[in-house]
Amino acid sequence: MTALLEVSGLTSRYGQVEALTDITFEVAEGEIVALLGSNGAGKTTTLRTISGLHRSHAGRIVFDGQDISRLKAHQVVTRGLGHVPEGRRVFPALTVAENLLLGAYQRRRDRKYVAARREEIYEMFPRLDERRGQLAGLMSGGEQQMLAIGRALMHRPRLLALDEPTMGLAPQTAQQVLGVVRDIRDQGTTVLIVEQNAHQTLRLADRAYVLESGGIVLDGTGTELAQDPRVKAAYLGGDPIIESPA
Amino acid sequence: MNLDSRLLRYSGWPVLILLTAVVGQFLDDYALTVAASIIIYAILGLGINIVVGYAGLLDLGFAAFYAIGAYVSGLLILKQGWNFWLTLPVAIAAAAIAGLIIGYPTLRLRSDYLAIVTLGFGEIIRITVINLEVTGGPNGLTGIPPVTIAGREFVTPVDFFYLVLVFFVIVLAVTGLLARSRLAYAWRAVRSDDRAAEAVGVPTRRVKLLAYVLGAAVGAVAGPLNAAQLGTVDPSNFTFLTSLFVLLVIIIGGMGSRPGVVVGAVVVVALPEVLRTVQDYRGLVFALLLIAIILVRPQGVWPARFRPLTLPEVAPAAERRTAKGRLLEITGLSRRFGGVTAVEDLDLTLDAGEVISVIGPNGAGKTTAFNCITGMIVPSAGTVAVNGSDVAGQAPHRVAAAGLARTFQNIRLFGDMTVAENVLIGRFARDRGLLRRLGAADLEAVRRCLDFVGLSDAATRSASALSYGERRRLEIARALAADPAVILLDEPAAGANPTEKRSLMELIAQIRALGIAVVLIEHDVALVMSVSDRVTVLEYGRTIAAGPPADIQEDQRVIAAYLGVPDDPETDLVAEVLG
Amino acid sequence: MNEFVQYLVNGLTIGSFLALIALGYSMVYGVVRLINFAHGDIFMIGAFAGFSVLTTIGVTGGMALPAVLAAVVIGALTTGVVGTGIARVAYTPLLKAPQLSLFIAAIGVSLALQEGVKVLTDARFKSYPNALDGGQILGGSVRVTYGQLVLVVLAVVLMAGLWFFITRTVTGTAMRALAMDRDAARLQGINVERLILMTFFIGSVLAGAAGVMYGLYYTQISFGMGFLIGLRAFTAAVLGGIGNLPGTMAAGIFIGLVQSFSAGYISSRWTDVIIFALLIGVLALRPTGLFGERVVERA
Repeated sequence: MTALLEVSGLTSRYGQVEALTDITFEVAEGEIVALLGSNGAGKTTTLRTISGLHRSHAGRIVFDGQDISRLKAHQVVTRGLGHVPEGRRVFPALTVAENLLLGAYQRRRDRKYVAARREEIYEMFPRLDERRGQLAGLMSGGEQQMLAIGRALMHRPRLLALDEPTMGLAPQTAQQVLGVVRDIRDQGTTVLIVEQNAHQTLRLADRAYVLESGGIVLDGTGTELAQDPRVKAAYLGGDPIIESPA
Repeated sequence: MNLDSRLLRYSGWPVLILLTAVVGQFLDDYALTVAASIIIYAILGLGINIVVGYAGLLDLGFAAFYAIGAYVSGLLILKQGWNFWLTLPVAIAAAAIAGLIIGYPTLRLRSDYLAIVTLGFGEIIRITVINLEVTGGPNGLTGIPPVTIAGREFVTPVDFFYLVLVFFVIVLAVTGLLARSRLAYAWRAVRSDDRAAEAVGVPTRRVKLLAYVLGAAVGAVAGPLNAAQLGTVDPSNFTFLTSLFVLLVIIIGGMGSRPGVVVGAVVVVALPEVLRTVQDYRGLVFALLLIAIILVRPQGVWPARFRPLTLPEVAPAAERRTAKGRLLEITGLSRRFGGVTAVEDLDLTLDAGEVISVIGPNGAGKTTAFNCITGMIVPSAGTVAVNGSDVAGQAPHRVAAAGLARTFQNIRLFGDMTVAENVLIGRFARDRGLLRRLGAADLEAVRRCLDFVGLSDAATRSASALSYGERRRLEIARALAADPAVILLDEPAAGANPTEKRSLMELIAQIRALGIAVVLIEHDVALVMSVSDRVTVLEYGRTIAAGPPADIQEDQRVIAAYLGVPDDPETDLVAEVLG
Repeated sequence: MNEFVQYLVNGLTIGSFLALIALGYSMVYGVVRLINFAHGDIFMIGAFAGFSVLTTIGVTGGMALPAVLAAVVIGALTTGVVGTGIARVAYTPLLKAPQLSLFIAAIGVSLALQEGVKVLTDARFKSYPNALDGGQILGGSVRVTYGQLVLVVLAVVLMAGLWFFITRTVTGTAMRALAMDRDAARLQGINVERLILMTFFIGSVLAGAAGVMYGLYYTQISFGMGFLIGLRAFTAAVLGGIGNLPGTMAAGIFIGLVQSFSAGYISSRWTDVIIFALLIGVLALRPTGLFGERVVERA
């Protein structure tokens, strides 16, 4: 299986701070790949760089055989790469229906497609169907997350990148969200998911990479990493990399 | 510093003044009148330079102060028969009060709204003087006698020129003193980042109001002079266009630059004279000049240059704090936003030389808690006692003065000031004095703090030119300059590589050795575990665990919060976490 | 009582122009956080554009509705192009610069426009032909002319058109979204830079239309007319809540009424003092405007 997304040697900076150093990984079609790591590890920066919100300093991003490293964000979307950003970022003063409408902005001229696709999304997310006219800003965190995902699905991306979809959600809701992610993959969309919540994500993912301080330190299948004590160390410092001061 | 360069540096202004005085003997009446106008605009420029150049408050209605000075003086002379010299202090005082009134509503406004409000005030004043009988309506005041000194009238262009020159010298001297005061540094910090300045201990409200008051006072001096020169106070001299031209003086010359003011005044006054032949195009030329300058050379023709601080060679080492006992006691700290509780019932205690860390997954409420503690947000409930006194809900600069210093997650330095100057600003928490020069204590503290973090060699470099690790250390140096009891570090290791993290840990150890208590927010849990005495873990705003690092590392609830609950149906963990 | 109604009628007319101008301020601020200081002068450009159209057509008087419409449409579109051009040339290079620079550039543009037109018109005012001379609808002590009716209807049509565009079209919805969250908008495939220019275009078109209408109503236009009217419209935008379109529209009408009533009951000399005092008062008490900014400010 050729990789749908290939990232090689990706280096990214914020001002003079190097946020990502030489990141290399790939996602094959039909997979769920997870990027794990604690905060500040560089997970969000990786996604933002891939989807074009942030300029990379060095390295290549190849999607579906095309180099998208220098494309602007709205052009990356056209290529079929959707991104559900951290914190959901629904448009708070727009309704559910309007939010979804914008998800298909690239195909706005095809009214039939947009209307039909929106109905499909409502079928997938009954909660959204019940709340078509509600302002997105007034919905609960879980509902907003569903909306953000539905919005990203409106233009039928081949790969969907999700940034911490379970953040701030109660455990039960988080489970639901991850269930939705599995359904999305089963329906044919490749998934790249970034999460802090390692255990549940590793049960879901086919493969995963662990980031720390801007670099990839571990990788393996979901099952392998779920039992690997080094994952816990990467988060909670079981293996101190620095000696304590005297 | 050797004699030659000192001579050079101090001789600039005197030489210019002397030259101007000499040249004045050879100019004809027309040139003298133009020259006098230039000097008057230079005085106005020095005034607006304080408000816009130093403090960064975009005043589009500066002509109001000019007008107030002229009208107050004119009215007192005409209606009360006062002498010109007597009216001066009253005119200046009136403008200063106006500055207070105009400045007050703008304190919380964004810079563009601020500009419009000052514009509005300018228009209000202009329209009012045109509409009122007492100010002479659209014709203004007429029949103002020339200035007299000991019976001698100063009515010819030559006389007036030298009179105005003397006034300029006085204003120059006064603004020169201001430029070297602690207030000037406070202004620049407020201009650079007013919220950071406030958090670090600068009384920003007072500092901003002083900018208006002092700027107005200086601008007001030009008013009576102008009235005496023309014999009238004409409201058409105080329009928005006037305010714009005064602003143009410092935009062309260079904001915050006193030599620039002279250059700007020459351009603004002389250019229309030069372009007299193409009279109609003058305004257009100015407009295009303005746009060109902003696009191409925003720092102006003669950009402001600030003298570097002269730091002592050695500073007495910091003494270990003798304060014993509880330095920080936080009880029941809570903050609600609408229906969401961001921080719930947080308790923290800190003794001298202790290091505690606050950790937790994203969205746990750590930064909100910090902001409540330091006064940037008002807590919904709870107390924050520093050295025994409760500072909860007070303005950030008061919290800083009480002994609580902080750094920021995204490093908020004053980018257009030097390394040494940044550290200096930290001193305002300890010493809020404004209208005096820097003292030995200030400079010693700067030297001491720079040595402490190892940035002494970089003292004269711009803060924005430092490497990432150096910027982190500079922020810590600035916090230490406040001589705090407690220092709060917000994610100091964010984006740092292992070497930088190692130095950070050493720095924290040295800080605690001084008897200062440290509170840390961090995501790098390994670092936290190595340096902390105690750790508090937050999740969804609530404290789920607190204790020594070793305990926390094995605490199941903490592991669950970070990594998620393992799929083990036998444990009651889910209930424990949710319950 | 008849006085009151007369002032009301006049106020509504003026208010509808102010509302159109205020909408431009509001929309542009919503997407780029810039108070376009030159917006009032864009309004002035519109007035002169309409004047050119009418003189070219050769209207001299009477009820020349088709000519009026042509003037409004062509004048507005021309102004739209000018406004967008200025944004592209003078503002875009400064989007990454400190905020102060952008604002000062806008001041420079404002001055340039005023001075430029001043030169072209020899600093003299121009007079619109009386192209809406249709007499009165209501006779007696309350005077409402056909001209007034036409203008108010026109303004309402434009505002309704804008409202329809913003709420019922995809592009308009994208514009609203842009004001809320720029990055999230990008991630939906929205070309943010192009949409920003479109916002400038629409704002300038509205101001331009208001300019032509002002010329038709007051007949006298001059290079400096944009300054005070621009500030009054800005006050309306702040009052209504910058970024809040219905609020801005309502506030525009309100300021028009304030202007009319204060001119009637007090004196037109004090109108602007009252309006500015209102502006300062509102901002002093509620730094985010009366109905709150519809945009989130990061601390």
